[in-house]
Amino acid sequence: MNIIETKKLTKYYGKARGIIDVDMTVEEGEIYGFIGPNGAGKSTTIRTLLGLMKPTGGSATIFGKDITKYGPQIKQEIGYLPSEVFYYDGMKAIDLLKYSASFYQKDKKFTEKRIQELSGILDLDLSKKIDDLSYGNKKKVGIVQGLLHQPKLIILDEPTGGLDPLIQQKFFNLLKEENEKGATILFSSHILSEVQKMCDKVAIIKEGKIIKTEKISDLLENQTKRFRIETAMKADKKDFAIKGVDDLSITDNSVTFLFRGHLNDIMREIAKLDLANISIEEPDLEEIFLHYYQK
Amino acid sequence: MNVILRELKAHWKGILFWSLGMIALIGSGMAKYDAYQSTGQSINQLMAQFPKSVQIILGISGFDLTTAAGFYGLLFIYIAIMAAIHATLIGSDMIAKEERDKTSEFLFSKPISRAKAITGKLLAGFVILVIFNLVTTLSSIYMVQYFNKGASANHDILLLMAGLAFLQLIFFSVGAAVAGINKHQKSSASIATSVLLLTFILYFVINLNDKLDFLKYLSPFKYFEAHAIITNGLDPFYMVLSLIITVVLIASTYFTYSRRDLSV
Repeated sequence: MNIIETKKLTKYYGKARGIIDVDMTVEEGEIYGFIGPNGAGKSTTIRTLLGLMKPTGGSATIFGKDITKYGPQIKQEIGYLPSEVFYYDGMKAIDLLKYSASFYQKDKKFTEKRIQELSGILDLDLSKKIDDLSYGNKKKVGIVQGLLHQPKLIILDEPTGGLDPLIQQKFFNLLKEENEKGATILFSSHILSEVQKMCDKVAIIKEGKIIKTEKISDLLENQTKRFRIETAMKADKKDFAIKGVDDLSITDNSVTFLFRGHLNDIMREIAKLDLANISIEEPDLEEIFLHYYQK
Repeated sequence: MNVILRELKAHWKGILFWSLGMIALIGSGMAKYDAYQSTGQSINQLMAQFPKSVQIILGISGFDLTTAAGFYGLLFIYIAIMAAIHATLIGSDMIAKEERDKTSEFLFSKPISRAKAITGKLLAGFVILVIFNLVTTLSSIYMVQYFNKGASANHDILLLMAGLAFLQLIFFSVGAAVAGINKHQKSSASIATSVLLLTFILYFVINLNDKLDFLKYLSPFKYFEAHAIITNGLDPFYMVLSLIITVVLIASTYFTYSRRDLSV
């Protein structure tokens, strides 16, 4: 079953581009990464899905229901953690979390127990006023309010900012536990190691358009390679004018480049050179990401 | 219900301060009556010698300042402007605060429709207006009775407070409608109070110039003038007009706020 499905989802702010023709399918039980630089349209996509903004074109369903018609019903089963958290002045953390829980149909005892459990795991003092909490602790409040009703879909927009590495790890463990219990997760980030660590599939968004959706494993293993070559003679740029070569750098006898395509094609060309050394490496997601965005 | 309780909790300090302010305004205002009363008819004669425009600006036109009810009539315009400011600010704050304080992302990622959130907020605002009106009514009755030596003025006060309630509703809905349509919520309160100020200035301009009487429908302060209410009671036409304005503005709040992008 598709938990999120968008078809040509488009959002313009007046004439300014938000997102254009976004097609996205998130299946049940997936941890779906959503990566792109600032301003690419990640938050716009999420806010449109949540009904905070109205789409200017296309359509989207969550749990098979149209987001523009069934917003409140759909959001009974969504937990959302925004990139920046803002809460009401003068409230204690516990009061905010109880207020948050009051919107859901879940049993009060269940949500209160979850609040205690989650805040225990994250080491969050519930008796403090939110104004007095550090940004990291406010973010913990955000995590608890996003998970307290055990949602079927968890949407995270740049969730780890302000969390120290220990809490980040606890947070990721929590997410994995929720995922094992059946929750689907949409994980938006520009921190690629997070996406690499957490996600099954990733959509790359650039200038409002999704330019690629791939399984993380496919993206890492099959598609793009980093070549480092040393030649006996000084290398010539013309030798590497090959389809699929990108990020080419030649310094005397050393050549490095990213290659995306069929390996036989590049190997045939390289075999023509007088090679002194060659290494072919798996690029990390950061490199692949830059490879897409530098175009 | 959770939104109503949340808003009432958030506003309780404001309710307290405004209530104390109104009690102080009415108390200090009526305390001056003691001085006026002791002068006998000479104060009315003195006031009558003022140019008409000064009488209008001071709000003393047509009142017998030697009676507690007459003097209260003089005070009413000040009570009305305070109530209008309060109602405007409450109306705009209820709708604007989520975007202004950046909590809209928190609230509207919850399973609540914008219409339902508006309903909760407007109901909370309505409760606050009722409290304001009750405090004003009770303190007015008490203060006027305290200084009054003639016939009871309670009937007049209740009529004036009913008029005040209509004014509160109009300006509450003005505040809400401005915040409903305005995307830059930091300016909602100042835009809404500017509208209020314009209608208040218009009220004086119309009173100073009979030829501009046709503009009276644009200033709700003209609908509920103390002298007219004490003399003739509330005008059903203005009551209906006030309700129509309120309903139209509240409907526009729902319409615009539910359809636009939220500022997050």
